[in-house]
Amino acid sequence: MPSGNGNNSGKTRRRFLQGTAATAGLAALAPSFMMRPRRASAATLDDVHMEAAKAAKELAAGRSVTLTIMQPSGSLGNVKPVADKFTEETGIAIEYVEVPLGEINQKVLLEAVSKTGSFDIALPATFGIPDLAESGILVNLDQYAAKHEPEDMQQDALYATGDYYKGNLYGYQTDGDTYVMFYHKDWLENADENKAFSDKHGYALKVPDTWEELDAMMAHFHRPDKGMYGGALFRTQFFIAWEWWVRFHAKGYFPLDDDLNPQINNDAGVKALEELVAASKTLYPGARTNGLFENFEAFGEGDKFCNIGWGGTQKFLNSDKSKIKGRMAHGPTPGGMVDGKLIKTPYFNWGWNYVVSSVSPEPEIAYLFTLYACSPAMSTVAVRDPGGYFDPFRGAHYKDAKITETYSKPFLDAHEDSMRNSIPDLYLKGQGEYFDELRVNLTAADVGEKSPKEALDDTAAAWTRITRRMGKRSQKVQWDFLKSIYPAGVRDILT
Amino acid sequence: MAQESLDATAMKQAAPPRRRGLPFNVALVLPAQLTVLAVVLCPTLIVLWLSITDWQPTSGVTWYQAEPVWHWNFYDLYFDDRFIGALLRTILVVCVCVALELAIAIGLALLFLEEWPWRKLAVSAVILPMMIVPVDAANAFFMLFNERGPINHIISLVIGEAFEFSWLADPDWALLPIMLAEIWQWTPLMFLLVLTGLMNLPENQIRAAIVLGASPARIFFRVMLPLMAPVIAIALLVRSIETFKIFDPVYILTRGGPGAATETISMFMYNGAFVYFRMGYIAAAGLLVLIVVISICLALSKPLKRHHG
Repeated sequence: MPSGNGNNSGKTRRRFLQGTAATAGLAALAPSFMMRPRRASAATLDDVHMEAAKAAKELAAGRSVTLTIMQPSGSLGNVKPVADKFTEETGIAIEYVEVPLGEINQKVLLEAVSKTGSFDIALPATFGIPDLAESGILVNLDQYAAKHEPEDMQQDALYATGDYYKGNLYGYQTDGDTYVMFYHKDWLENADENKAFSDKHGYALKVPDTWEELDAMMAHFHRPDKGMYGGALFRTQFFIAWEWWVRFHAKGYFPLDDDLNPQINNDAGVKALEELVAASKTLYPGARTNGLFENFEAFGEGDKFCNIGWGGTQKFLNSDKSKIKGRMAHGPTPGGMVDGKLIKTPYFNWGWNYVVSSVSPEPEIAYLFTLYACSPAMSTVAVRDPGGYFDPFRGAHYKDAKITETYSKPFLDAHEDSMRNSIPDLYLKGQGEYFDELRVNLTAADVGEKSPKEALDDTAAAWTRITRRMGKRSQKVQWDFLKSIYPAGVRDILT
Repeated sequence: MAQESLDATAMKQAAPPRRRGLPFNVALVLPAQLTVLAVVLCPTLIVLWLSITDWQPTSGVTWYQAEPVWHWNFYDLYFDDRFIGALLRTILVVCVCVALELAIAIGLALLFLEEWPWRKLAVSAVILPMMIVPVDAANAFFMLFNERGPINHIISLVIGEAFEFSWLADPDWALLPIMLAEIWQWTPLMFLLVLTGLMNLPENQIRAAIVLGASPARIFFRVMLPLMAPVIAIALLVRSIETFKIFDPVYILTRGGPGAATETISMFMYNGAFVYFRMGYIAAAGLLVLIVVISICLALSKPLKRHHG
C-alpha cells in the first residue's frame, strides 16, 4: 500500500486473507509503484535529482528545448529556485505561465479541448486529477516512472494517494496540504480555566482527541461580551464541506458504499452536521464571510481559542505579524469514537501536483523535470521558500533547519503526523460537482435554510444523479481503488 | 414549322453567352451575410446540438462526437431546483432593480431638467458610477457590507450599541447588497436615457396644459409620462436585458451563496459551464433562458408597437 498511509501490522488473520484475495482482484488497480516492472535503475532517493537531470540532458542533447510550466500565481518562489538549478544542470530553459490560484484546474482542463500546447507541465490542485486524467490532457506517467523513478520515491512521500487514478500514476504531489488544528496555548494552560472546564466536563483542557471535546472547549471559551471567541473555523461556502468531511469520517463511515450509494445522509452524517451547525454558535462573527487570509489574520489577533488550517496558516501565525506567535499548541484534526476505539481522520484537502501535458512535444523531459523537482533534495529547496505555497511532504523536509524555523517544531510534529494518516478527498471524476452540491447544502443547513437531514438527503440525491451521469461502472473502478488506498488504520474501521 | 424551330435554335446559338454570376447587389451583401451566418448561426447550431448531448470536455471526446441524450437535459432542468431557483431569483432581481432604477432615474431627470448652477458638473457626478469597472464597484459594496464595514458602523452609531450583522452570509439579506450595487452602478444609464427623453418632449403640449391650469402632477402623469412611453420602454428593455445577465456583483459579493441563496442564472451557468464543464446541460439551460429573455423583450416592446400604430 502507499507509504504514509499507516501501519499494516495490526491486521487480523481474516483481514490478511481478505487482503490477499483482494490483491489478486485488484492487481490491475493496485498503485502503479507497487506493480510497475522496473529496470535496474541506478537512481536512489539521494541522487534521483542528479540522475533525472542527466537523463534530461541526454534527451535534449544537440537541441534547444524549452519547457513551460503553468502554475498557480504565488508559487513562483517555490518553483523557480528548482527550475533555475535544472536549467543550470541541463541547459533546458524553463518558462512560466501564472494563472489565478482558483482557476488553474479549469485552465488545464480547457487545454484538453483547445490543445494549444501552451504548457508542458502544470501544477493543478490534486483533487482535480481524476477529471484531468479522464479528459486525456494528462500523460500516464507509468512508463516514464518505470524507467527513471527510484524504487522508494513514492514510499518516501508522506502522501501520494492523489497521484494515482484508477491505479495509474498521473502526477507527483509537491505540497503537503493537510488540515492541522491550532489552539491558543495560554488559554489551554490557564489554571482557572482548567478548573472551571474540568468541574463541568470531568476532564482537563488539552489538545482535543474528538470533535465532541473540541466543541465543548469552544463553547467554554466563547464569551463574545468579553471579546473571547470559541474558534475561527471556516463557515464560508468554499470551506465548510472540509470540516464536515472530517467530522463525518470520524464517525466511522465512507461517504459512499460499495455500490456507490451515498452514505452521507445516514444518522452519522446528520449527527456530524448537527454538531457542525451547533459549533457555529461558538465562532467569531467573521466565520461565515472571511476567506483564508482574513481567517488566519483573525486568529492572529489572539482572541480565539482554536482554528483550522494548513502550513500557510502557520507561516503567517508564526510570523511577527501575528500576536499569537509562539503561544500556540497544534494537533491533527479531532477524531471520534467508533466501537469504543478512537479514530483520527486528518484530511488532505488540497495540495499542488506536478503533471505533464499530453500535448507537450517533450513529455519525457517534462516528466524528468517533475521527478527532479519532487526529489527529496530539490523539493526541500522548494519548500524552504517562506512566502510560497508548498508545505512539507517528505521526511527530509521535517529535518531541515530552515523549514523548521519557518514552521516551528511543534507545528511540524503535528503536520507530519497528519500527513502520514491523511484521508483523501473524493478523488472521483466530477469531484467539483459532488463537493459543490455538498457545500451548497451544508451552508443551507448552517444558516438554517434547511434541516441537516434535509440538506444531506438533497446532497445524496444529487450525488446519485452525478454518479449516474459520470458512469457508475467507471466511477466504481476508481472508488474501489481509492478505498483500497485509504490509510490502513482508518480503512479497517470505516464502514 | 420545322424551319422556324431551326431558326430559333440558330438564333439562340448565335446570341452572346449570358454571364453567369451573382447579381451585383447580392455580391455586395454576401460577405456581410456570410460573416453574420458564421458568428450567429454556427454557434446557435452548435448550442442546439450540445443541448441534446451531455458533452463534457472531461469526457475525452470532441463535441461533435458526443452521444445524444435527446430531451434529458431539459427534463433534468425542469426538476433542477437550483436552475429554477436561479431563474426565478434573476427575474426578481430584474424586476426590483429595473423598477427602482427607473423610479430614481425619473426623479433625478426631473431635477436636472431645469437649468441651475453647476448642473453640468452635477450630471457628470451622477453618471460617474457607471464609468467604474463593475468588479471594483462590487468590491466596494463587499467592503461596505462586511460585518465590520461602514454600514454596520453607521447602524451602530444610530442605535447606540454595537451592531455586527453578516449581511452577505444571511440568506434572507444577502441579495440586498447585490441589488444595491447593481442599482447604484446602473441607475445613471437609466437617468441619461430618461433625461434625454424628457429634454426632447414637445413643449407645446406641456405649455397648453399649464395654460389650462393643470397641476404639475397632472401634467407629469397625463402629458409627460405618456409621451415618454417609448423612451421608457427602450430604457426598461435595455436595462432588463443587461440586469438579466448580472454576474459581477454576485461573483464578488457572495459567489451565489450562502447555499444558493443569491445564485443568479449567470452564476449558475458560469459554474456549470466553466467550473464543472457541463457544456451540454448548460447549453440546454441557455436555450431555455433565451426563450425567457425573448418573452420579456416582446412584452416590453408592446408599448413601442402601440406607439407606432
